[in-house]
Amino acid sequence: MKIISSIKINSTQILVNGVSREIPVAEENNWTKALYTSLELSYPKFYKMDSLAKMAFISLQMMEKEVALSEMETSDVALIFANSSSSQATDLKFIDSYTEKGSPSPSLFVYTLPNILTGEISIFKKWYGENIFFIDENFNAEFFIDQINFYLSKGSKACLCGWVSALSDTEECFLFYITNEEGTLTENELNTLFKQ
Amino acid sequence: MSELRQTLKAQIIEQLNLEDLTPADIKNDAPLFGNDGLGLDSIDALEFIVLLESSYDIKVADPSAGKEIFHSIDSLAAYIEKNQ
Amino acid sequence: MKQFFVTYGGIISPLGSTIEEHFEQLSNGTSGVTVIENSGFNQENWPLGKICFAAPENRYTYLLESLCDRLIEQHGSALFSSDNTLLIVSSTKADIDALPNDTFASTREIIESKLNPKHSPIIISNACISGVLAINTATDYLSSDKYDNVIVIGIDALSDFVVFGFQSLFALSDSPSQPFDKNRKGICIGEAAGAVIVSKAKLETATFSALYCGGSSSNDANHISGPSRTGEGLFRSVNKTIERSEIDPTTIDYISAHGTGTLYNDEMESIAFYRLGMTHIPLNSYKGYFGHTLGAAGIIEVIASMIMMENNIVFKSIGFEETGTSFPLNVITETKSHPINTILKTASGFGGGNASLILTKES
Repeated sequence: MKIISSIKINSTQILVNGVSREIPVAEENNWTKALYTSLELSYPKFYKMDSLAKMAFISLQMMEKEVALSEMETSDVALIFANSSSSQATDLKFIDSYTEKGSPSPSLFVYTLPNILTGEISIFKKWYGENIFFIDENFNAEFFIDQINFYLSKGSKACLCGWVSALSDTEECFLFYITNEEGTLTENELNTLFKQ
Repeated sequence: MSELRQTLKAQIIEQLNLEDLTPADIKNDAPLFGNDGLGLDSIDALEFIVLLESSYDIKVADPSAGKEIFHSIDSLAAYIEKNQ
Repeated sequence: MKQFFVTYGGIISPLGSTIEEHFEQLSNGTSGVTVIENSGFNQENWPLGKICFAAPENRYTYLLESLCDRLIEQHGSALFSSDNTLLIVSSTKADIDALPNDTFASTREIIESKLNPKHSPIIISNACISGVLAINTATDYLSSDKYDNVIVIGIDALSDFVVFGFQSLFALSDSPSQPFDKNRKGICIGEAAGAVIVSKAKLETATFSALYCGGSSSNDANHISGPSRTGEGLFRSVNKTIERSEIDPTTIDYISAHGTGTLYNDEMESIAFYRLGMTHIPLNSYKGYFGHTLGAAGIIEVIASMIMMENNIVFKSIGFEETGTSFPLNVITETKSHPINTILKTASGFGGGNASLILTKES
């Protein structure tokens, strides 16, 4: 397996393949909107997404500026994602909709599952590949490498993987793209990219 | 007239959790649904039904009529003015 | 593809808390769905698959603790604390009432204290396909020789959160759900916990085991909450599962479908099965028995299908009377003796996910 690209974003950091990039100026601390605007995209669905999907979507766009992901066949890419807090930020907003704001909100409810972000990526890319979302206490490089090995050995030609978290006080996304090309990926390398 | 439209835009942003948008981003005559407009879909149409009932006391009895009513801010405002 | 043994771990649902009780209730055509007063956001009386034989303070932790107890009663404690055993949990909302604290913390704590595993459990939360994905993931670990046994737990409890959510989508049925029927109106939410043990060798404690042949998943790439109009993801997943299973698809003699009872989901499945040339294969949905138990569904529906296989019986699809999909399916309308040798289990869910697996009878 070979790591082709990685993107890490949070409110104070943008790393493209481990190299730091300038952070666009955000209004009212809305760093994901600032990033979206700086990418000059037109994808109205973005505004409807929850923070998990927004971060994954932006990271994917940044990655696509580095590598041609579209060269893959539609079923070739497995999406392997994880976080520690599931869809907690949206869960709390949804509870607020029926406890404080009058009625349960359907447009919030549909985002109260962490794997919705893999759906958003699949829709954007028209990818029909395998998808899976795990809940783990911490980012675990060994675990991801196991999963990547499973999916590559089952026939996927590449894996788009990510650790995406949204809590009320912290938002972060680490996206990395692995192909079945000759190469090695060690836990250390992956941990270094994540912890940078 | 335009006051209702402004209010509607603010309410849509609030109700649909489009917190990255401002009322100025929504044009009166632009389609709200589909990828040409705000990219809204059938789930958001449910939010419009809730909004009309809770804020304007209007019940949309036939959900299939929603498509025309919710087409744009203009059509939504016209429907509210007619039914209130 | 290597084959693995799939053994009953345990099941707790509105129909009971043992395999034997489930065999009896399923054979009798008993539905676990009952009208629950004031369960809706506006005090509606929704029919739900609620466990009424217990009234615990925390429904989720009760379900998980009881299931762990059943696992040990049936299989002894050594299996769970073995270095060669891994645990996988499938759940969509886990202990949702724990918010704003970690909703998965009690899962880890209960498993730790009850089963004393050597390795931290792996948790899968991938909407309604989580259970099928969890069994498929179990076999990934067995194939890689990392473990000899994988315990796969599927669990979700009833909560206002989930009931109000599906209510807000106008997806709940005000009468017991009727998967694939002309008059179907939507979902009845349910709750359950179930476990299967997937292993390289047949367990000595196994009363019955089926053989796992293969499985896969595929995204619809169409909509985050609406089923695909072409059944694309389900179509692709089933084809991939057949390919991986290395079986002759004409030997599939029963499909345990997802069948939620919503207009769009059941229609999508009929389109996918038509494209797969499978509309003649006997099929049912267990949602009429259990309601839709989300993260538990894949596991308890595999268990119910294994009960059919073990006892050479097919269970009717409760709520189905008249064809209500564009492509008529061979929905089972009568519970009767009938040998089942090869089972196809499918699941579809929010996020556009579809998953499937194939089990055969030990020869």
